[in-house]
Amino acid sequence: MPTTTPSSRQRRANARPRALRGPGLLLGAALFATGCATAPRTTPRELFQLAPESAAHKATQTRHFETRDSDELLSASAAVLQDLGFQVTESDRDLGFLRAAKERSAREYGQEIRRGIVAFLTTLLSAFGGGNAVVVLPVDLHQQINASLIAQPSREREGSHEVRIVFYRLVWKGDGSSGDTRIPPGEQRMLMIRDAEIYQRFFGRLQKSVFLESEKL
Amino acid sequence: MPAASARTSPLSSARRSLLLFAALIGLGACARPPAPPEDLLAPTEEQMRIRNLQTRVFDVSDRQLAMRGVITALQDLGFIIERANEPLGLVTAARFAEPRYFDVVGISVTVRPRGAGQVAIRANAIFNNEPITEPEVYQNFFATLERSLFIEGN
Repeated sequence: MPTTTPSSRQRRANARPRALRGPGLLLGAALFATGCATAPRTTPRELFQLAPESAAHKATQTRHFETRDSDELLSASAAVLQDLGFQVTESDRDLGFLRAAKERSAREYGQEIRRGIVAFLTTLLSAFGGGNAVVVLPVDLHQQINASLIAQPSREREGSHEVRIVFYRLVWKGDGSSGDTRIPPGEQRMLMIRDAEIYQRFFGRLQKSVFLESEKL
Repeated sequence: MPAASARTSPLSSARRSLLLFAALIGLGACARPPAPPEDLLAPTEEQMRIRNLQTRVFDVSDRQLAMRGVITALQDLGFIIERANEPLGLVTAARFAEPRYFDVVGISVTVRPRGAGQVAIRANAIFNNEPITEPEVYQNFFATLERSLFIEGN
């Protein structure tokens, strides 16, 4: 035998304060509708304008090579990228374009140590305070280092070429948790590589390679 | 519709009409799917308006030279060249807006010869996968490109 009858169920439902139901619904609908009313996101008007640091970046990323053979220069650049562990993924001979990528682990000690400390402290906190406040920070797991290179005849100096390369990395994080919420893996971020030493290393090898080639002639 | 017997619990009229309503909605799934609009691939008003903004003609006779100028301009603006195809006159580049790495700007440039001693350069720019429609952005790009093409001041 059912303990509640349809009429008693109705009476229980009506026990909720009637006064709040109407305006509450209206408020909810109004808040929902404001989502439709927000202005469409516009793009920043300053896009495609030269930034002040553009000249400094250009200096780090560019070198001149005293060679007339553009094919040889491009081929030597591909060889240097291969030496550095890259896979050349795209190329265009007439414009002197190369694109390369390599994948590596992105784990680093600093992040792992920090993760351990935070997990330990939050475990203590939840042990004393009760509940589950354990935080396991996601750390960088995997990265892809990319390079994009253009080798063009130099416009300032006749008979020489200018090579400009840019290195950047995509980093993916692992998973973690915050209390009872699991943080799924795969958070991605992108970083330009601005460290001058990496560019110097690349150009040093390229210079040696081009010099050796020109010596053979 | 058989009348509810005394043994089964009688459906209230409100519940019955709700059930009927739900059944009608369910049957709607059997209807023919809506046909795609005929102008699905046609350019929108917005697209037609920005087409003029996106194209500019330059007094450069050599198409390859114009392409090199485009590449130099894009590199100076901090873009990463993603794809380049000289015979087709195509260059694609992208950049992330620093320090917030969530905004992506992409640009696809084509260089085509047009008449004697001229090339038409068309740039399609997107911001977070939506086409850019502000004229200032394209004016900025073509100003930088002009500087890059005519840097020798000839």
